[in-house]
Amino acid sequence: MKIKVFDEKSKQNIEIEANTIKEISEKLNIGLGEVIIVKNGELVTEKAILKDQDELKFLSVVSGG
Amino acid sequence: MTCRKCRETPVIHLPNSNISLCKKCFLRYFEKKVRKTVRIYKLFNKGDTVGIALSGGKDSMVTLNILKSLAEQQRTTKIIAIAIDEGIKGYRDETLKFAKKFCEENQIPLKITSYKKEFGMTLDQILKKLEIKPCSVCGVFRRYLLNKEAQRNKIDILATGHNLDDETQTILMNQFRNNVAASSRLGPLTGIKDDKKFIRRIKPLYFLTEKEIMTYAFIKELATPFNECPYAENSFRGKVRDALNKLNSEYPSTKNSIIHSFLETLPLLKESYKKQDISYCNTCGEPTSKEKCQTCKYLELIKK
Ligand code: SF4
Ligand SMILES: [Zn+2]
Ligand SMILES: [Zn+2]
Repeated sequence: MKIKVFDEKSKQNIEIEANTIKEISEKLNIGLGEVIIVKNGELVTEKAILKDQDELKFLSVVSGG
Repeated sequence: MTCRKCRETPVIHLPNSNISLCKKCFLRYFEKKVRKTVRIYKLFNKGDTVGIALSGGKDSMVTLNILKSLAEQQRTTKIIAIAIDEGIKGYRDETLKFAKKFCEENQIPLKITSYKKEFGMTLDQILKKLEIKPCSVCGVFRRYLLNKEAQRNKIDILATGHNLDDETQTILMNQFRNNVAASSRLGPLTGIKDDKKFIRRIKPLYFLTEKEIMTYAFIKELATPFNECPYAENSFRGKVRDALNKLNSEYPSTKNSIIHSFLETLPLLKESYKKQDISYCNTCGEPTSKEKCQTCKYLELIKK
């Protein structure tokens, strides 16, 4: 299924073909300890179940200085 | 997967204890952990005026938010937020907007002071004039001003947003650089007791990870939009952070073990480095270990 992923730094939505959050994080090379995950506006864990057209955001937990 | 305590949908998984928590249980867990840190390490006493170094980033916003509710419970504890405006266009002006708004809405006194007001130049201007590492001069000036502003406002103790990730990184960096003396000045409570010139520092978020703090900030709507200082270099810290995060994802108790073994040795470290007593800068009178403090040295360069 297709998942819409918002990229914080480029501020763009990209579409990714995947079934789990873990799969997406691996494709995008995102460490799950370094982000919080927002699915359709709600905070979720990396185990949350995805469905087609879900919107995901990975928000970096590292502060910028 | 449901919340370990109440079967609601979880918002976070805590790798160290391998449990998942829902929003409500997570907030309770988080606040309890801060209260415990304050209590066990006696971070402040009833009746104290507690300053919070506020940058507008998530760590300091969460620190302020939690200390505010603690102060309300204790009634006699007063809080004051202190913000330093370094003068970094497009960065600090943005995060400070958020800090100001929050303090206004929550009736928290906020004192803002700036490099421009205090040293005559913004950080942007200083860096145009001098070829120095941005974070070196910025860090020295910030520490100096925070201490000064805390004294002006009769603050007993100054809280910062340092967290478990910051601290474990710093411990390792000091090891890698063979600078154990610097580690003797770490811990949840730092500074020298009864030194009138040096305001002690506390880290109420000492045992919480960046991820936990970001989760708390998101739930409480304290998270600022992603924004990075244009001068951030941090190359060594960045590498240590990446290595630690990688290790911690494979061995989930890594960061916790570092902190706890460090805390076991800290009293010994403090004991063996305490002889380096503090003296005062012969130019400005602020505490330093040398004759002239680093702030005054930089100021001389700037004013040339
Ligand atoms: S990243 Fe460096 S220059 Fe930017 S605010 Fe932090 S210490 Fe100052
Ligand atoms: Zn719960
Ligand atoms: Zn000085």
